[in-house]
Amino acid sequence: MEAKPSSNLSSKFVDQVVVPGDVILDLSSMANQTIKLGGGLRQDGDSISVMKAGTLRFTKPNKYWVESSHKRYVPCAGDNVLGVVVDTKPENFLVDIRGPALAFLPVLAFEGGTRRNIPKFEVGTLLYVRVVNANTGMNPELSCMDASGKAAEYGVLKEGYMFESSTGLSRMLLSSPPYPVLEALGKKLSFEIAVGINGCFWVNASQSSTVILVGNAIQKSESLSMVQQKIYLEKLLKSIQ
Amino acid sequence: MEYVNPEGLRLDGRRPMEMRQLRAEIGAVSGADGSAMFEMGNTKVIAAVYGPREVQHRSQMVNDKALIRCEYTMANFSTGDRTRKPKGDRRSTEISLVIRQTMEACILTHLMPRSQIDIFVQVLQADGGKRKILISHSKHLICYASQLLFTFFSGTRSACINAATLALADAGIPMRDLVTSCSSGYLNSTPLLDLNYVEDSAGGPDVTMDAKLPMDIFENVMQLATEGCKAVANYIREVRNLILVLFQAIRFEKVAIVWFLLMENQVCGERCRRRDVINHLPSYLLFGLNFRRFRAVTVGV
Repeated sequence: MEAKPSSNLSSKFVDQVVVPGDVILDLSSMANQTIKLGGGLRQDGDSISVMKAGTLRFTKPNKYWVESSHKRYVPCAGDNVLGVVVDTKPENFLVDIRGPALAFLPVLAFEGGTRRNIPKFEVGTLLYVRVVNANTGMNPELSCMDASGKAAEYGVLKEGYMFESSTGLSRMLLSSPPYPVLEALGKKLSFEIAVGINGCFWVNASQSSTVILVGNAIQKSESLSMVQQKIYLEKLLKSIQ
Repeated sequence: MEYVNPEGLRLDGRRPMEMRQLRAEIGAVSGADGSAMFEMGNTKVIAAVYGPREVQHRSQMVNDKALIRCEYTMANFSTGDRTRKPKGDRRSTEISLVIRQTMEACILTHLMPRSQIDIFVQVLQADGGKRKILISHSKHLICYASQLLFTFFSGTRSACINAATLALADAGIPMRDLVTSCSSGYLNSTPLLDLNYVEDSAGGPDVTMDAKLPMDIFENVMQLATEGCKAVANYIREVRNLILVLFQAIRFEKVAIVWFLLMENQVCGERCRRRDVINHLPSYLLFGLNFRRFRAVTVGV
């Protein structure tokens, strides 16, 4: 049987579940085409194979990646994450971002940061930071400024509470259109939330009971279907009135 | 002793080419980064993976790849006689080493330099064994065949490797491929797939042992083990598949499918209640379905 020359690049595995070792594309049958590989894929000679279990995604014109939800975060430049200060050194703060290694936050990586005004962070301070550099074999580097050098929303998160979940839930919370649970909770309650792509989210409200309620509701909603979420929230919001 | 009766059935009623029932569950340990429970017949093993994380002992750090550590233990209640087993005896050290070497060959360690991955494997139930299982000095074989890494081990070791693979996949650690393991042996002049405890301790040649076995029969036995490994790999694929399908179904409100699955569960005499499953879905993803039913369900989806 002759292989049909495919006009589009999409593999038959797109939106399917893939496991390590699956070969999704054979490069020998495609000439003069460019494809871009995202996380969870690797090139092995003439074939593109999977190295992480998850769902294969594809966007036009040529991007492929594997989407999955994990408890451990793999740092990637440009991600906004939540981290806890573990140690302070003269040049850097050591921050735990739930990755394979502690991240460095240079003491000068703040808006208008000079040697004179170094912020004082105690061990255990919660920060909302941006990953600037994430190379293999090196500790990731963080920053409390956006690309233009402004403080933006980055910095210390005072009060409130940090909840831990999976990277998949974080992505859902950050997705657009907004996560329905978050929307429904926001209509009834007033609270503040910060979501890190590393599977952490921080909630703050005037009452600590609200913080607990919102945190639990979000954590529980991960395993519920849309309909179940609706029922669960209706019940929950009725019970607090 | 007669291991295969004249009708061609084995001691536990299986045919020579039939495997024991497989059962698997992922996310069995809530504190771990990845975990899995794997059952092969009466053998039940739990595996937990932590990492990649910072190397605990600086002196062990490898600069260009990840350090893989493996700890194998047997629960006191796993065998018929409840004895306190010393940690780090010869048998468990050997099995730890075997699992570690197998996984090292499979994990893409160069992607995670200066980090450490811990694999903890615990046998919750060892197949029937009242005596200590005798392990001969084995040469483990790893062959790259048709895109899958196969290893051949006997009894509990197969289940340990399968559980560890599933746990690593759950933790999202980059791997070349899925490693699966299955034993096979030769008794009463018949090649047998997936030996149980009695067959394993019968002293017949086993692909892991260096007993004398004519070349042509060895090839048959090897072929059988390969087929067994493929079956296990398919099963592992389906465990991952089904769970993800379930999540997708939930997201797209295909609730009917979830119910269908649960009904199947009840048909198979699962112990979990429907309500529990709905309430705590991720922690209760128990699929006690046998292989054929499993298939039917996925086709239905």
